[in-house]
Amino acid sequence: MRQLNEAALLAALMAAAAAAHATGAATCDSGPQSAWQAQEKLAAQLKEKGWEVRRIKVDGGCYEVYATDDKGKRVEEYFHPVSLAPVPKGAKNHKG
Amino acid sequence: MKVWDAFVRVAHWTLVGCVIAAWFTRDAVHEALGYAALAVVALRIAWGFIGPRYARFGQFVCSPSQTLDYARAVAAGRAPRYLGHNPLGGWMILALLATAGLAAASGWLSVTDRYWGVAWVQEAHALLADALVLLALLHVAGVAHASLRHGENLVRAMLTGWKAAPRRGDLE
Repeated sequence: MRQLNEAALLAALMAAAAAAHATGAATCDSGPQSAWQAQEKLAAQLKEKGWEVRRIKVDGGCYEVYATDDKGKRVEEYFHPVSLAPVPKGAKNHKG
Repeated sequence: MKVWDAFVRVAHWTLVGCVIAAWFTRDAVHEALGYAALAVVALRIAWGFIGPRYARFGQFVCSPSQTLDYARAVAAGRAPRYLGHNPLGGWMILALLATAGLAAASGWLSVTDRYWGVAWVQEAHALLADALVLLALLHVAGVAHASLRHGENLVRAMLTGWKAAPRRGDLE
């Protein structure tokens, strides 16, 4: 039975790993999507700063932006979808 | 009888550690774990051609028909014992190495300047990571099944390298 116990332990560890898998580095308290500002507006603001925006997606109620900044450095930043204010990494239910 | 050489064992548990740790981490730590995993996979593939007997792909990769026969024997509860990998186990090793390698490579691609923020690269990486965990769970289930069926602790065998001596009816 020892083999079974070890296998069960391994399987349980892997299941725990699957459950704990976080999707994002920050979460936003951002309400219904109907009140959000358009991703295009955020993209335009960032372009204004000299960023080249590669991708914007919704993650944890925030806009998650993949871009290169004005110095050409790769950046991954979070923004609040209502205020478009930057959200620090690790923020929980950020209110913008 | 010594079956798994030191390189195979260290590579196995290093990859296990990298994959589990990578699942829980982000950014620099996650990336370092991915590069380590990719190196382990590359070395293990090379070892599959130059390593000792039971480490070689040529020893444990069976034809589809042999593998199907073995799968039927498993279903019927009369699977023979193999000294190295059984045919299903052998294909699982290939699947795990391929999936882990592609997951690591796609992750690497996703942090290059050229492919940074490219959706399909990110989606492929996530999909490959999920597939890897699924395959690993199946692998553990297969290990548990073979361990019970043949009364041999295969997890311990991967730690010590030793398996029970050949018995009547065993296959290579």
